[in-house]
Order: sequence, then C-alpha cells, then structure tokens
Amino acid sequence: MPSANSELFRLPEAAVGILLILPAILLLLSLTLYPVLYGVWISFFNKHSFFPQQTFIGFDNYISLLRDPEFWASVWRGTVYALSTIALQIILGVAAALLLNEVFPGRNILRGIVIFPYVVPTVVAVIIWKWLLNSQFGLVNYLIEKAGLVDQPISFMGKDWIMVSLIIVSVWQFFPFVVIGVLARLQTIPDELYDAAKVDGGNAWQRFVYVTLPQLKSVLFVIVLLRSIWMFTKFDTPWLMIQGGGAETYIRTLPIYTYMRTFAYYEAGLGSAMAVVMFLALAGAAVLYFRIWRREENL
Amino acid sequence: MNRSSGLLSPRGQVLMFAALALLAFTAFPFAWMASTALKPSREIFVTPPTLWPTHVTLDNLSRLFAETRFLTYFRNSLTVSFATVGLTLLVSVPAAYGLTRFRFHGRETVAGLILFTYMFAPIMIIIPFYVAMRFLGLANTHLGLILAYTAFCLPFSLWLLRTFFQSIPLEIEEAARIDGSRLQAVIHVVLPLALPGVVATGTFTFILAWNDYIFARVLLSADEMKTLPVGIADLYNASVVDWGMIMAAGVLVIAPVAAVFVFIQRFLVAGWGSGGVKG
Amino acid sequence: MHMSRMVALATALTVGIAAPALAQDKLVRVWHTETEPQTIKAFNDLARRFEAKNPGIKIEAEGLAWTDLEGKIMASLAAGSPPELSHGQPITCTALQSKDLLNPLDEVVKAIGEDNIWEQVKRVCNVGGKQFGLVHAAGTSLLIYRKDMADKAGLKPPKTWNDFLANAKALTQSTKGDGKIDIYGITLPGDNLFINILMGELIKSNGGALFDKNNKPLFTDQKMIEVLEFWRELVKYAPPGWEGDGYLQTFQNLYGQKAAMMFQGYGRGAGLIEKFAPKEKANDKTFDVWSKPVGPSGKEPGVQVDEEPWMLFKDAKHQKEAIEFLKFFYQDDNYLEYVSTVPIHLFPITKSLRASPKYQNLEMIQRWKGWIEVQQGYLDKDQGKPTLVVDWSDMTEKPYLLEVLGSGIVRDMVMDVVLEKWEPKRAADKAQRRLEDLLRSKGYLKG
Repeated sequence: MPSANSELFRLPEAAVGILLILPAILLLLSLTLYPVLYGVWISFFNKHSFFPQQTFIGFDNYISLLRDPEFWASVWRGTVYALSTIALQIILGVAAALLLNEVFPGRNILRGIVIFPYVVPTVVAVIIWKWLLNSQFGLVNYLIEKAGLVDQPISFMGKDWIMVSLIIVSVWQFFPFVVIGVLARLQTIPDELYDAAKVDGGNAWQRFVYVTLPQLKSVLFVIVLLRSIWMFTKFDTPWLMIQGGGAETYIRTLPIYTYMRTFAYYEAGLGSAMAVVMFLALAGAAVLYFRIWRREENL
Repeated sequence: MNRSSGLLSPRGQVLMFAALALLAFTAFPFAWMASTALKPSREIFVTPPTLWPTHVTLDNLSRLFAETRFLTYFRNSLTVSFATVGLTLLVSVPAAYGLTRFRFHGRETVAGLILFTYMFAPIMIIIPFYVAMRFLGLANTHLGLILAYTAFCLPFSLWLLRTFFQSIPLEIEEAARIDGSRLQAVIHVVLPLALPGVVATGTFTFILAWNDYIFARVLLSADEMKTLPVGIADLYNASVVDWGMIMAAGVLVIAPVAAVFVFIQRFLVAGWGSGGVKG
Repeated sequence: MHMSRMVALATALTVGIAAPALAQDKLVRVWHTETEPQTIKAFNDLARRFEAKNPGIKIEAEGLAWTDLEGKIMASLAAGSPPELSHGQPITCTALQSKDLLNPLDEVVKAIGEDNIWEQVKRVCNVGGKQFGLVHAAGTSLLIYRKDMADKAGLKPPKTWNDFLANAKALTQSTKGDGKIDIYGITLPGDNLFINILMGELIKSNGGALFDKNNKPLFTDQKMIEVLEFWRELVKYAPPGWEGDGYLQTFQNLYGQKAAMMFQGYGRGAGLIEKFAPKEKANDKTFDVWSKPVGPSGKEPGVQVDEEPWMLFKDAKHQKEAIEFLKFFYQDDNYLEYVSTVPIHLFPITKSLRASPKYQNLEMIQRWKGWIEVQQGYLDKDQGKPTLVVDWSDMTEKPYLLEVLGSGIVRDMVMDVVLEKWEPKRAADKAQRRLEDLLRSKGYLKG
C-alpha cells in the first residue's frame, strides 16, 4: 500500500482488522479444531468403533499401518486416482476455457451448460454414469458395440475398468471448476500481448505457450492446489461408485480404506491414524508446493 | 477480450467442431437422463435401448411425488444451502476485507493456514463433529448441517474474496471516505464493486452445500429432514433400482438450478477474475 | 442483495430451523433399512397413527441403506445418544448385546404372545432366554430361474451342485443364434455382503462350518475347498464383469433377461419382475423357484434368511415409549400394512397374521404362491439361518462374525480364486491366516 493516505489505515486499525477476521477464525476453529484434535488423540488408542472401551497403545496403530500392505496399495490407488484426475481436469478445463473465450454462436449458453456437471449433486452424477456405463443395459456399451469398436460389452464396473470409469466420472464432474477459474483469468489478458506476439510471427501454439500460459500461471497455482487437496481426500465419488457394487477392492483409495477400517473393520483408532498420516503427507506436500511457488515468483 | 473469426473459415469450423464436442461431453449424460425419465418402466430394460422413449410418460414423475418426499427434500436442500451461503458470506466478507485492508502481524500466515483445514479427511471429522453437535443439541437439525457446511466453505470463500478485494484499487475507497465515514464508503462503494465476487463466492458455497452427501447422512436422522443427495441416494439403494424414478428426480434437481446457472455464469467467471487472482 | 437483508435472512433461517428441535415431546428415534418408497411411506403412516393415539410421543423415523446404517450407529454410540430402535443384522445384534448395549424386548414378545411368534425367529439374537432382537420380517433366499427356458431345454430341478452347473451351462445361450451369448446362465453378486451371505449358505449346504468350537477358522478344510471350486465353475456362466454387480444389479440382469438364474434371489424379486419385466413374462410361469442344490459333502440345502431384528439401545432415553411403539407395530392391522408393501419378501413373524385371510388374500400372495411355499419349506425344516450363521449356537457364541463380515476376508478369498485365478488351496490358506490374526487381535483366539 503506497501513498501517504495509507497511514490512516495503519496502526490504530490493526485491531479493527483482527476484529473483522475474528468471527471467521473462531467459527472455523470451533467447528474443526475439536474434531481434528479428537482424531489425533484417538489414533493412539485401540478403540472399537461401536464400543466405548479404549486402551492407550502409543504408536502401535501407526506401526501396524505402515506394515499393512493394503494400506500401501490404497495409497498407490489414491495417488493414481488423484494425479490422473487432476491432470485430465487441468488439460480439459484449460482447453475448454480457451474455446469458450473465443466468439462463436451459442457461446454464452455453452458456458452455462459446461458448468452443469459441477452443480449436480455427486449422487446424481454417479447414478447417471452408472446407468450410462452399465455393462448389460448401458447406452455407452450399446453405441460402441454398434459402431463396431468392440465385440463384447465392456464391463465398466468390473475389475479391469472400474478405475477408468471412476476417473471419467470425476473428471466430468470437476473440470468445470477449472474452466471457471481459467476463463475468468483469460478475459483479463490484454489484447496487446497477443498482438505483439503476432507481429513476432508466432503461431497459435507458440502464442499459447509464450503469452497465455505465463498469464495463467498464478490462477493455475491456486486451482492445482485446491483440486489436489480435494482429489486426494475425495470420498463421496468413489464411495458412491462402489456402493452396492462388487469391484470395490479395485478403487479402494486411501479415504475409502480409512472409512472401511473405521466402519467395516470397526477399528476407529486405526482409521484415525490413517487420517493423520494422510493429513501430514498433504500438509508436507503443500508446504513444499508453496516454497517452490515462491521461488518461481521471485525469479 | 475476444477475437472474432468467420464461421466459414477453417478456424471457425474447428471452433464449432470443438464446441460441439464439448457440448456432447457435458450435456449428453443429461440428455440420456431425461430420456430415461420419460420412459415407462418396462421400456427401460429393452435391448437394444431406445434413444428416445417410444411412449413418452410422466408416470415416473408422478410416482416420485406420490411415493417419496421429494418436495420436502428439495425444500430442505434449498433452506440449508441458502442459509449456508448467508452465514458464510456474513462471516467471510468482513474477514476478507480485513485481510486485505488492514496490516497486522501474521496476516499472510492466517491466509495460508486456513487451507490446511481441508487436508484432514472429512470422513474422519464427521464422528467427533457429530458428538459435538449432539452436545450442543444440534444433531438432527438443519442448523448443525449449516454450521458444518459453513466450516467447510469458509477457507475457500476467504481465498476467493480476498483476491477479489485486492483487485479494488485503494484510491477509490479513499476518495469515497472524504465525504463520509469508512463504513459508508464500504457499503456504497466497495461492496457494489465487489458484488460479482460476492455472488461468485456465494455460488461456490451454494454448490458445496447443495452437493454434500456424507455430512447430511450422518448428522440427520429423520426422513423429513433429509436433503436431496441423501434422499436420492436412498431411492437408489431402495432394494430396487427404479431408474425411471431416479432419473426423474435427477432432472428435477438439475432443471431449476441449471436455469439459474445459465444466467449466473458471467458472475462466476467475473468473480474469479477481473484481475482477481493476480498474475 | 443488500448486506442488511442478507443478515436478516440468515438470522430468520437460523432461528426458524432451530425451533423445531426444542419441542417437548418424548422423542423415539427409529432407524430402519426397508427403503422401498412404499415401505417408507407405510412406516411413516404407521408412526403418525401411533402418535395420534399416544399424545406426547413423537416418532422420528429414518429409512436408510445398511451400508450407511453402520456409520450412523457408530456416530450415535460415540455421542452416547443411540436411537431408541434400529434394525441391524442378526450378527450385529449379538455383537452389541455381548457388550451390554441392548435391552431385551421380552415385553413386546409377551404382548404379541410368545406362541404367536415362529420358532425360527425366536432364535435370532436370543441370549440367555431373553429376546434382544426381534425380527421385523423374514424372507429366505431363493433360487429363481427362467421356467420357460428351462422347460424348453428339458431341464430338471438340480439336486446337487453338479446338476446346477449343468443347468447353468444349458441356460447360457445365444438366443439370436449368431453365436454371441446374450443370456447368461446365472447372475452373481460381487459385493462383500452378498458374497459373505452366499458363503454362509454354501458351506452349510456342503455340511461344513466356518469356525470350530474354539473359534479356530476352518477355511483350509476340504469342504471349503469344494465351495471355492464350485464358485470357480459358477462364474463361467455369469456375465463378464459380474464382479461389478451388487445385489440390485443381479436382479436387474434377471428381469432384464440377461441372465436365466439367480442363486441369491429373494421374494422381493416378484415385485420387481411385475414392474420391470415385459408384460407377457411378468409372472411365475416365466420366473419360478427351485429348491437349492446340495454340495458334494452335504446332506441338505442351506439358505440365508434375511431377518433383521429390531434392537432397543440401552442408552436411549425413551425405553418405554419405544416398546409401546413396537407393540403397536406388530398389531395385525398395522403389521399387515407394513408387510404388504413387499409381500413376498417381508414374511410376517406372527402366526396370527400369516393365517389371517386378510394376509392370505393379498393379490400378490395369490400370484406368487410357489415362491411362498418354498420359503415356508426352508423355514419349517430349519434350513435357513442368518448371514454367516451356520449353526444356531454361532448366534451367541461367536460375537465376532460381524468383524469377519466387515473385514472382507471372505470376499477377498473368493475373488482370489475366481478373478485372480489362484488355486483354492492357496486362497484358503491366506484367508485362514488373516482370520487367525484378526481373531487373535480381538482376543477370541488363543495362542
């Protein structure tokens, strides 16, 4: 804040600033602090999910977790799921935003429609796709079989395809988030930048790489950060995908396994330990991400 | 800013093709949903599937209203979502303003730390959260749910609003203050300028509350309290996959919201941008 | 919207929403797992009538899927505020009872009349002569098959697993004659609960058991190996990707004419067939039931009974009121309204209602008599048991069956054999080891 006037906003008003922020911070802390602390606390106990008894066992939950091959398998599945959906969301989202930034008939309606998948409750999104991808009655199978692409219907909910199906549904559901953010930024890039590039004789791709992309960097930084956190902790989409279905083992990501340990194995302590481990990993990654970002920005 | 291009030029053709592809990818599932919603039960399992119902029927819709509490769920969802938007904005607008307009120690740290609340898997928060709500007498109330959603929406709202307030030049606000108090300047000058951002934040908050399944599942325990996602999930798990009825429910959930969104999208886009997230 | 108006709105909403929670009525919370819309509606109507007759009591009912119920029970127990009444699996009931979390429902039993309740049902979650769980309605699993197709192929009712496999093979057909299979012999569920249910049935009809008296798993026993071998053969006649099917999809395959037999069917299917199958096929001439076949080492068929009991939680506030509600629930007229929402599946537990003309004359009962008779036969011969219960003593002596079900070890073993193509012996060894670890860690298995 430059200018002499900003003196008026300074010291005496620091208190006002804190006062304005206080309700938000208090609300956030009072609603999340206890649950998180309870989770950390209970991760040091052997606690059955249903029964009140609990015994302190120190780090035993963490030790048995690290020795559990299924834990590592779920970490792997979760990473595959998160990374592939994030990458596809970003690619598809940026591409769609570039398109929607052009002028063509029906653009405004299309801008509205593209947001729909993000607005639909996850339950509805998953149900629609389960119906579309049904191996016996699904439209997708009917169409690709008719087009001669396959001989036999693809078992989209079976062991080999369930992860792919889950990724498709998730990308469909969440890429509009990227579209919104990127489109907003695109609209603020001054035309002069492009004109200059044209004079330099760059083609469309070069203009994208040298003009557009650098301008998108900061908005992509925020989007990647948020989407990563949300995709790594994503529970409802995979959960609703496998609910009532059989191939759950093959999309048992870390949040799902955490849930299973707590609600199916009835090991509340171990489940909490898994949540803590995930929190630490994500927090560590986020700190690293911020650091790298700051260094980039300072260059 | 946009550069126009002729429809018949090769560039225009590529654009139209891409637009159609995008339309198909996003809208096709909805079209199939609508088609299924209008089919009689027996036609749904016909092979090969009929792309459009041979006998259009509103039977699924009427059964939905007769056999389920769809309207109650809908009203519950609206109440909870709008109240969440109200409460979240009420708390986060002043906070975001405070974060951008006042200097105090640890300001940046606060903004960064807020995001860390997202990293603890929500499913693990739910049980102790329920315990706390029970303690406060708020279990099985919509208020408890609203508080949960507000907690979940706050960090993102703060981030979004903060970048937005940052984009409003300080000079405009200072000029307004010459004629009146700071509060008046904020109400008459800053907030109107920030309106697109506030609408956008409100919309994202609405979507988060509107979509949630797991909090509503655990915190509520009466049929008449259920929100749409829970009500629809129960329909789906109702020992019968009544695709026609479920798809009819889907159509009804999406139609009104979709209508609103076609109009609101410019705000959404404006809310993120206008130099909002600075480059 | 102006800020001030927004504040007003938020305040109004907040106050308006919080108000109903302050009502002074005695609240009885009831969770049940019968979520077909007509059943939810009947149940809520019943609750309203009870409230009208009992001023000062409010029934708060929620119907929800079993997969979601576990989380809710857990959260409520953690908060020390369980609902008054809830459905649960029979083995959940025993597990909760073993930790002294339930109160008996003997008073309800007395009100119904002890002799008026079937014997089979009285053995569910009955500990030390006290009825800790009272079944809301019972229905046995059924082997449903396409009678029209079987007749055409000249098939006989299968007596053994081998007969059954032969039938499955014969019913896997290319109806268009182009060599492409478009109807499969059998539809099978791939989800954890139903694989466990099927395992309980199969090991029973093969004369085996899952655990011995000292809680040692018996998974490496020859009888288990035979079950796994049978399963491996079965999936050859199931539609590809069957492992993605849950219970509901297996029904869908049946009435959608993609499969000719359903081993793990239930009476509920009759209603689904009437609603979704082509009109000319929606009857018991097309969809009939066979008695289930017997394994190579077994003597009699075994089936699962879907009989979730009502449980009364000790820590809930309004015990008396809950008991009154259950008495009201089981009164013939009220109970009839409930069971008639899914008549072929929700078998009443009271003899008086079973025998009453009002029940007997229900149109659906008339239409699907054969399905009812087979179920009645299983129950009369005591061939039906709850999930994972092989012998009635398991009900009280093995409170860990709930954890066994939840751990997914049985499902993993079956999948290792049928999908990952492991030798049954190897998969069974692994499951044996995992189960021993599980039971040791819970303190049920010594050494």
